[in-house]
Amino acid sequence: MTDTQDPYIALAGVRKAFRIGAETIPIFSGLDLSIPRGDFVAVMGPSGSGKSTLLNMLGGIDSADAGEIRIGRSHLEQMGEGARAAWRAHSMGIVFQFYNLLPMLNAADNIELPLLLKPLTRKERRARVDTVMDLVGLAGRQRHFPSSMSGGQQQRVGIARAIVADPDLILCDEPTGDLDRKSANDILEMLVFLNRELQKTIIMVTHDPEAAAFARRTLHLNKGEFVEGEGR
Amino acid sequence: MTFFQLMRRNAWRKRLRAILLMFSVGIAFLIYGLTASFVSGSQGAAGASDNLLGVFNKSGRGLPLPIAYLNRIAAEGGVAAVAYTARMRGFVEVEKNVVAVSAVDPQAIAAANGAELRLTPELISALEEGGDRVLVGRALAEAQNWSVGQRIGLTSQLMKADGSRNWSFTIAGIFEGADAGSDTYFMLARYDMVNAARARDRDTVDAFVVRPRDGIASGVLAARIDALFANSAAQTQTQSEKQFLEGFLRQFADVGLIVSLVVGAAFVTILMISVNTMLFAVRERRFEIGVMKVLGFSRGRIVALILGETLFIFAIGGAGGLILAKLATLSIGPEFGLVFSGEVLLKSIAIIAGLGLLTGLLPAVNAMRLPIVNAFKTR
Repeated sequence: MTDTQDPYIALAGVRKAFRIGAETIPIFSGLDLSIPRGDFVAVMGPSGSGKSTLLNMLGGIDSADAGEIRIGRSHLEQMGEGARAAWRAHSMGIVFQFYNLLPMLNAADNIELPLLLKPLTRKERRARVDTVMDLVGLAGRQRHFPSSMSGGQQQRVGIARAIVADPDLILCDEPTGDLDRKSANDILEMLVFLNRELQKTIIMVTHDPEAAAFARRTLHLNKGEFVEGEGR
Repeated sequence: MTFFQLMRRNAWRKRLRAILLMFSVGIAFLIYGLTASFVSGSQGAAGASDNLLGVFNKSGRGLPLPIAYLNRIAAEGGVAAVAYTARMRGFVEVEKNVVAVSAVDPQAIAAANGAELRLTPELISALEEGGDRVLVGRALAEAQNWSVGQRIGLTSQLMKADGSRNWSFTIAGIFEGADAGSDTYFMLARYDMVNAARARDRDTVDAFVVRPRDGIASGVLAARIDALFANSAAQTQTQSEKQFLEGFLRQFADVGLIVSLVVGAAFVTILMISVNTMLFAVRERRFEIGVMKVLGFSRGRIVALILGETLFIFAIGGAGGLILAKLATLSIGPEFGLVFSGEVLLKSIAIIAGLGLLTGLLPAVNAMRLPIVNAFKTR
């Protein structure tokens, strides 16, 4: 499926299979995908359909067996592990279902982690952290540790961590899967804000149709192929 | 937050475990600090010069040599200065309070050994002012609580001509020694006074102290001096001060080997404990390592983080152990041969760094190789 002539994300002929013992389980057998810059796409599908595998490949966390994965001008399939790590540090932010904050660091330090990889002074890092904490509604909670925060607050920290390095691409793996409805809606509104106001390209994997409805469009993944759905 | 703070917080996340590990490392380095200080001190061997030669009686170090040898040694072309000494042992007040006296010619000892003992012209002049004057080493003066001008008495094995064994001296000055490794637990008396007063072995010495000329190999000069007296009734054996002291210690045991074995056992034990602990600690947080990799932390940064963590633990624990060792050497004093020298400190720092890196290596490599996808399966 093609959306624009020069898509921001382009997958072409991507093949991926998992080997369990002697058995090979194919996940994708020639997957194609094009997503323009600034899109907000929800990816839905039954368990085992490969949603997380797709997200991992888009994030340079897992590699394809064959095919091309291009994001912006970066061809992930041609990169080694070091180059992919550097690419993730500068071009991609990720929001996890279970937040995945480091428990020994407070909110500000968790958010600052990706900035340790950038040539910024301590003052500059702190200023950026304060800015994104304001943006996600956590002003004044810099010194709070994850263990003393609600799920919704922790996910806000997770989002702040994902955007603090100002990446173009944000990947979300079931970002509201562990939250109550109200907190989930707050988080989703925040993602919409990031997409519409800051022009972040967002790919969100979710099981929740209500969450998917916040995206511009929804892709249904089934047997290694996409079927586009309606967004709002 | 800085990278160092991140590393430190990782190290402190399980405080009890970190403290116990630091304690173990501290104990190992306390043992190392004390044993290395002993080897370094080795009854003064640390401060002993390799270029200063001692000429002894070949038949036994307790046997005398004629003072007449002095002129023949001084005439040897490679000799820059030569002094002589007659040793006297005695005790002050109680028999176990043993002190040593070297009876010397003030000018000669200043020329031959003045730099090592830091014998200033003022001290030499003070020693020359009277026959009963002595210069006391700093370590001995502090141990006995003696001060300049004080009159002291000791009972010696060396009998006087009048049958008495009691010798009285006035402290003319205190010499410091060139550095902390110098043996200063003895005193210098006047040879002319001791020689005139003693009942036997007059006009003999226990050793000659020879300083070779610049550019003269001490081993070559030693052989030439011994050759001078090869056909004499009292043949000589010439060794450097360091060789002599090391040989003296080796009469009892190979101290270096024993120390190496003890320290080696301590370090191997601590290495096994700490590697096991760090492997466990890193395995516990494989998921977090995966998260950090997703955030963009490279393999190198993950390795640096874990190596830094183990180095931090070893640095704190090792520093604690070395501080205790230093305090122990200061409180025990150099008279027991414990000298925590700069060399011991540098070696300790190198071992701390080496063990810290070695301990962190295996867990760091494991973490480095851990694929992110596998790390996420561990939750």
